Amino acid sequence: MFKILVVEDDIEMNRTVCSFLNQNGYEASGCLNGEEAYDALYSNMFDLIVSDIMMPGVDGFEFARNVRELNEDIPILFMTARDDIASKQRGFRIGVDDYMVKPIDLDELFLRIGALLRRAKIASSRKLEIGNFVMDADEHTTYLGDEEIPMTNREFSILYKLLSYPKKTFTRTQLMDEFWDADTETAPRAVDVYMTKLRAKLAACDTFEIVTVHGLGYKAVLK
Amino acid sequence: MRKSNLTHRILRGIYGYLLFFLLVAFLVTCTTTLFLHILSENLHIEYTAQNIGTAAKLTFANVIVLSILYTLIDAIRRRFTTQRMTRHITEAAKRIVKGDFDVRIAPVSEFGMDEKFNEIIDCFNKMAEELQSVETLRTDFIANVSHEMKTPLAVMQNYGTLLQASNLTDEKRMEYAKGVIDNSRRMAELMTNVLKLNRLENQQIYPQVTEFDLGEQLCECLLQFENIWEKSGIDIESDIDMGVKVKADQELLSLVWNNLFSNAFKFTEADGKVCVMLTTTKHHAIVTIKDTGCGISPEIGPHIFEKFYQGDTSHSTQGNGLGLALVKRVVDIMQGEISVESTVGQGTTFSVKIRRV
Repeated sequence: MFKILVVEDDIEMNRTVCSFLNQNGYEASGCLNGEEAYDALYSNMFDLIVSDIMMPGVDGFEFARNVRELNEDIPILFMTARDDIASKQRGFRIGVDDYMVKPIDLDELFLRIGALLRRAKIASSRKLEIGNFVMDADEHTTYLGDEEIPMTNREFSILYKLLSYPKKTFTRTQLMDEFWDADTETAPRAVDVYMTKLRAKLAACDTFEIVTVHGLGYKAVLK
Repeated sequence: MRKSNLTHRILRGIYGYLLFFLLVAFLVTCTTTLFLHILSENLHIEYTAQNIGTAAKLTFANVIVLSILYTLIDAIRRRFTTQRMTRHITEAAKRIVKGDFDVRIAPVSEFGMDEKFNEIIDCFNKMAEELQSVETLRTDFIANVSHEMKTPLAVMQNYGTLLQASNLTDEKRMEYAKGVIDNSRRMAELMTNVLKLNRLENQQIYPQVTEFDLGEQLCECLLQFENIWEKSGIDIESDIDMGVKVKADQELLSLVWNNLFSNAFKFTEADGKVCVMLTTTKHHAIVTIKDTGCGISPEIGPHIFEKFYQGDTSHSTQGNGLGLALVKRVVDIMQGEISVESTVGQGTTFSVKIRRV
């Protein structure tokens, strides 16, 4: 069972979030301030941290920065009333993985925590498995059952990205920015060519498919 | 207060009288001296001290009487012209100070009156009108905000009370709990919008202008609604030119698209269609968002960008009437243009025009 640390100074908010997470199959513990949270982290292992920003004493930014110094991988999700872009930027720069603005939707929180944990697992094992389809990021190999599917580096990276965030649509530009050189002259439509190639190579795979979203972008959908 | 007012008036009377006295005395002295001088030269009359003395006394008395007469006439003239008007204006101003914005001053039409008074009266009436409309807006705003806030609160309270009952079926319990959640969500949305609009209107957010790809922004904003169109089965058509750059505040501009998309999806039926187009002219980028929803009637059309204005006056459907006010405000800040075309029953098209790089 995944263990989640909830750092939030409002007692009711803390209690409801913890109860909700406990109801939904996680083991959540609540702390009302940064100091308490440091103590909890010291004596327990957690898989994920949900933290407020505006707290008395140690604020969320400082807390997240200190946690990041000690642990590079633990997913941190900010849950805060501050919706200005400056706070978001500051949070992400410190190394926060996700950001939700209060009042939060608990169902959405649940979904996001699931996604964060899945990505953390992919990131730590460097391996992606969907049924009999396996991608190994260290060896850059792709297997469908026992058969290896040959892929270029770029094809591999694009597919790995799409499958790490199933159901999330990426625009062509987002993929371009990540997998092509910054000074490239290629038009975003070049992404389409790669998608056609990938689909051809994955024709035999029936555990997921690459879907075109109304000319806006692409996503991987698990079946 | 009244006593000092009285002394003030007496002093002003004396001052006026002295002024007229000096004026009349000066005139009379000059003319009499001139007259007597010419008379004595032409008729060779010698004045004796005695007849000069008598004439001087009479003339002096005459000067005093004339001065009093002029002072009185002047006071009466003032009373009927300047003083009456200033009193009118002062009284009206005092009523405005007390918060009564209904007051208006009738312009003077009598001839001989000072034209300047009509100018003042015109300005005054305009000021009163403006203040009145601002006041109406303010009270409407407060009434709307409190209505919009109290309704979901009341509903939540009711559901809370319902939930306290002991023998609820699971189905009912879920229904009531959902009511609490939906209404708190509605209220949260309202709060967010009121705060955003307030910040925009007080200009506390200064646009952080950067150059970015507008087409990409539209794609990303539109993709946030992917869940909604998948769930509702609304068809999407996009014709977005790539590589169209604009210089603007990215976060502010995304407010525009999010609100317009959200409206388009809100008012479009399941079998409908939402089209997003990005086209360009030489200096401008034009974003067109078209839906096949219920449309906006011609009576409602002119008001859609007003705060808290909602097509249906019962406030019953979702939304809080602030979305388009926000959109308009942002487009204004960006010095862009927004226009709407709509046919009832067929759909609505919003076009936003902003300068491109």
